[in-house]
Amino acid sequence: MSEMTAAPITDRIAPSDHELAKSMAEESVGGGFADQLAVAEPQSVYAAMGSTPLLSIEGLCIVGAAKSVDTLTRSHYVRGSGAVGNTGNAERPLIPLDLDRPDHSKYRKLLDPIFAAKVIAPLEHDVRTLADDLIDGFIDRGSANVYDEFCAILPSTIFLRLMGIPVSELEYFLCFKNDLLRQVDGETVEQHVAREKAAGVRCYAYFNKVLDEREQSGSPGDDLLGRFVTAEVDGHTLTRENILDICFLLMIAGLDTVAASLSCIIAWFAGHPEERRRVVADPEMWPDAIEELMRWETPVPVAIRTPTIDTQVGDEVVTAGTSVMVLWAAANLDPEKFKDPMTVDLTRRPNPHYSFASGFHRCLGSHLARMELRAALDQFHKRIPEYEITPGAELKFEAVPVRLASPLPLSWTV
Amino acid sequence: MELEVDGAACMGHGRCYAYAPELFDADDDGHAVLLMADVLTTYEGNARVAAESCPEQAINLYD
Repeated sequence: MSEMTAAPITDRIAPSDHELAKSMAEESVGGGFADQLAVAEPQSVYAAMGSTPLLSIEGLCIVGAAKSVDTLTRSHYVRGSGAVGNTGNAERPLIPLDLDRPDHSKYRKLLDPIFAAKVIAPLEHDVRTLADDLIDGFIDRGSANVYDEFCAILPSTIFLRLMGIPVSELEYFLCFKNDLLRQVDGETVEQHVAREKAAGVRCYAYFNKVLDEREQSGSPGDDLLGRFVTAEVDGHTLTRENILDICFLLMIAGLDTVAASLSCIIAWFAGHPEERRRVVADPEMWPDAIEELMRWETPVPVAIRTPTIDTQVGDEVVTAGTSVMVLWAAANLDPEKFKDPMTVDLTRRPNPHYSFASGFHRCLGSHLARMELRAALDQFHKRIPEYEITPGAELKFEAVPVRLASPLPLSWTV
Repeated sequence: MELEVDGAACMGHGRCYAYAPELFDADDDGHAVLLMADVLTTYEGNARVAAESCPEQAINLYD
């Protein structure tokens, strides 16, 4: 982790300089990948890592150039995260994240319509009302840890409402999420794995209890859980384990990624008041501004893909079964894909960024995420257009598995 | 100008119907449905933005 005030690590090189880029990438991987990137502006490091078609460092295969990422993610002969184990050290694969075709397609056929843009759009009013309620809780104070009091709570509350779980359970879910996803300073790998596994067991147990109660009541409910209970895939209703495995995925995705994205974007605006004022003065800029800051910040920076056949990437062949680290954060800064990629242009259009992944594992919740970001950021800036990082306070970034700014101590004039 | 959607490549990012709703709609899965293959001149700008915004490059455009 690193402070907001830490100097950008890599202003010393031009990203186009391949040899320097490679040595820098080696340095950052060798010197602790996450630590090097847990800074306010990790973009130069990512850009350097994406400036060659394929990097092999200490047995690790890394792909960050947009063309290479496209080759891997669009291939029909590539596996997603499940090839290297279950996400979060879960007992079973998360559905659909850890599945591959053809099973993956069956579950997406069930889940895609539930999270389609048209289905999500009517929820926007609720998100704006919730954002206002949360802002009411801290605006008069003139300062807040905006991560804890706004970014973390808003998407989690929406998630609970969608699932049909009482919002009184929020604290329980936030603790669960932190156990599963946060790094703890000084923890060994074994301790980390044990903490994740325990959180997974608790997740299954929690949803098992809720589903038991639904069964006993005889009414499945008209929320997401109810839909899963009655849904059919390939002519069969889902098993209890299927439902638990979907719930686990939705927990991880729904509780954390929008919170992280909100924190990155608000932190960026805290440091760029002129750009912030432009958007505040013209709220119609929000959709493009959000796309651009999702490109720039890439809150989910990395994924693993494993080709099942020998696959040509650049001048090299990735042999079947080799797990490759795919850097969305680097592809998002590739000059062959984006004009002037190291400049943040809040009106950038087109913006075919990789922040919701590409290929058949495209983020299931991308439409929900975009709507939440737009509603939450617009409401926040309507109420609190002028703010700064609280003088003397510490802003910390995490880099993986999700980039976020927490704490996010902001101050404004009351 | 003509548009073509590669249905197998479309992953439902929804950029096309966000940027050019007069040219694209979504099916129930959120995948792109082409509304106008022969693009009226007034929509050519939006057609280009939609095609170039697709993260899967699933939209072909013929001038």
